[in-house]
Amino acid sequence: MPNASGSGKQLPLVWHFGLAVAMVGAALVLTRALQSTVAITGYIFFYAAVVAASWFGGRWPGVLAVILATLAVEYYFMPPVHSFAVREESVPVFIEFAASSVVISWFSSWRKQAESALRRARNELQMRVEERTAELRQTNQQLVAEIAERQRAEEAYREAQAELARVSRMSALGVLAASISHEVNQPLAAVVTNADACAMWLASDPPNLDEVRAGVDSIAREGTRASDVVRRIRAMFTKAAPERASVQINDLIREAGGLLHAEIVKNGVELELELDEGLPETLADRVQLQQVLVNLVQNGIEAMSTVADRPKRLVIRTETTPAGEILVAVRDSGVGIEAKDQKRIFNAFFTTKAQGMGMGLSISHSIIEAHGGRLWARSNGDHGATLEFTLAARPTTAS
Amino acid sequence: MKDAAPIVFVVDDDAAVRDAIRNLIASVGLRAETFGSTREFLSAQRPQSPACLVLDVRLPDVSGLEFQRELAASGVEIPIVFITGHGDIPMTVQAMKAGAVEFLTKPFRGQELLDAIHEAIARDRAAWEKRAQNADVRARHDSLTPREKEVMNLVVTGLLNKQIAAELGTSELTIKTHRGRVMEKMGADSVAALVRMAEKLKSSEPKG
Repeated sequence: MPNASGSGKQLPLVWHFGLAVAMVGAALVLTRALQSTVAITGYIFFYAAVVAASWFGGRWPGVLAVILATLAVEYYFMPPVHSFAVREESVPVFIEFAASSVVISWFSSWRKQAESALRRARNELQMRVEERTAELRQTNQQLVAEIAERQRAEEAYREAQAELARVSRMSALGVLAASISHEVNQPLAAVVTNADACAMWLASDPPNLDEVRAGVDSIAREGTRASDVVRRIRAMFTKAAPERASVQINDLIREAGGLLHAEIVKNGVELELELDEGLPETLADRVQLQQVLVNLVQNGIEAMSTVADRPKRLVIRTETTPAGEILVAVRDSGVGIEAKDQKRIFNAFFTTKAQGMGMGLSISHSIIEAHGGRLWARSNGDHGATLEFTLAARPTTAS
Repeated sequence: MKDAAPIVFVVDDDAAVRDAIRNLIASVGLRAETFGSTREFLSAQRPQSPACLVLDVRLPDVSGLEFQRELAASGVEIPIVFITGHGDIPMTVQAMKAGAVEFLTKPFRGQELLDAIHEAIARDRAAWEKRAQNADVRARHDSLTPREKEVMNLVVTGLLNKQIAAELGTSELTIKTHRGRVMEKMGADSVAALVRMAEKLKSSEPKG
């Protein structure tokens, strides 16, 4: 077959023309066969053959079918039968048939073309939709991966920041300690050296009492100087009068929860607030009091860091005592406080933590005391410890 | 020179510490001179006698450790005893590596400082003696004629007179005479003594 090299799916053109011929042939046979038995008017089978040839074959097979059908009708059915001659009275019928055939052929092939164009467009659209969907899916996966990466980076950043803050606190303290020890050791060196010199002068023969006297004077002077240094340092840390303002401690507790939210979540701690909404306000240095709350919460979180066999619960409760004082209790389910440490936990530099400095509770204690309150710790019956402090309620001014 | 009374220089910016150290040093009969800064110390006249330096690490103008380096760089050899109000291990290691006699943290006991000072002065005295000997040998060496110096250089390598004569292209008798003059001028009673002197000359050479 010379035309077999045409596109695989569509039949070669010669088949289309063959189809047209076959259709018209079939129409001829059918019309002839039925002509004698059934009263069929017109040339319905020929029309059908033209439609089919145009539909399946396209325009030119359609045209062929029209020509063949016209010839067949003329030859076989128009008088004189079996002749290509046309009688005058048959001309309108013949023209009508030919024109109708051309129109339906054209219409049929046009519909066919339109339909296949539509199908192609639909297929193309569907393909594009699939492509886009695949692209979107890929983009989405990338985004998910990027978000995860970003979250990891943020987590690392937060950790680095916390570590930095800790290190800078430590090094600031280190610098301070170096400076203090230098300031204090200077007069102490003079005292010790002078005392040793005095011993030498006394041991000489005869003892040089003038030198001893001068040395002893110097010792007294330098001893005073050392105590001055210590006093100066103390004054530096205890500012004259803290700022006092009216503070609602429940608000501070909520703020502290917010400040430490990341840490609470990271450590898997459940924070519960049992706040007495009728709690009176207190007169306090807001920043210092916030520091105390943050310290106590942090202390609780750290006390529970090794807990694995029970929920890590941190409960902050406020209440008004019968005496009208404000009581704040921070209760954890951590490792608790050993009896021997009960007294020492508020000492500066006392810590049971590997990373701790032992400053948090000590500072908190002095802040609460400076506010005229008390801070203490007690062991819970089951697990962990509760740190509690009281503050005086602000005197209500009758207005 | 080497028998002159030793002097202890004290550099500390704290007057009370300075006075206390001076008092302590005076109580054992040593002479002390005190300064508030390294600048004062450098501008002071330093007598030609064994000495040591008691140096505070934290000073207003320059750190004691840096001053130690500066002194070494400018060829001033004086044993240093460091004192500090707040010392740490790296600081101590650095000072000791650079040749410090002792590194004391304030407040220190008087005896610790005095022991360190005595040790430092002993070191400086030894250094003085060595320097004096070297100077003596150098002066003698300078008095040799160029020919005698040549002969001495060959003698200390262990060559015999005959070999030296061949080397310098002269007679054995002449070399014998030169050799005698070298021994006499250098004050050496044996070839071994001469070798030691040659070594001293060599070792003190780079510093001139």
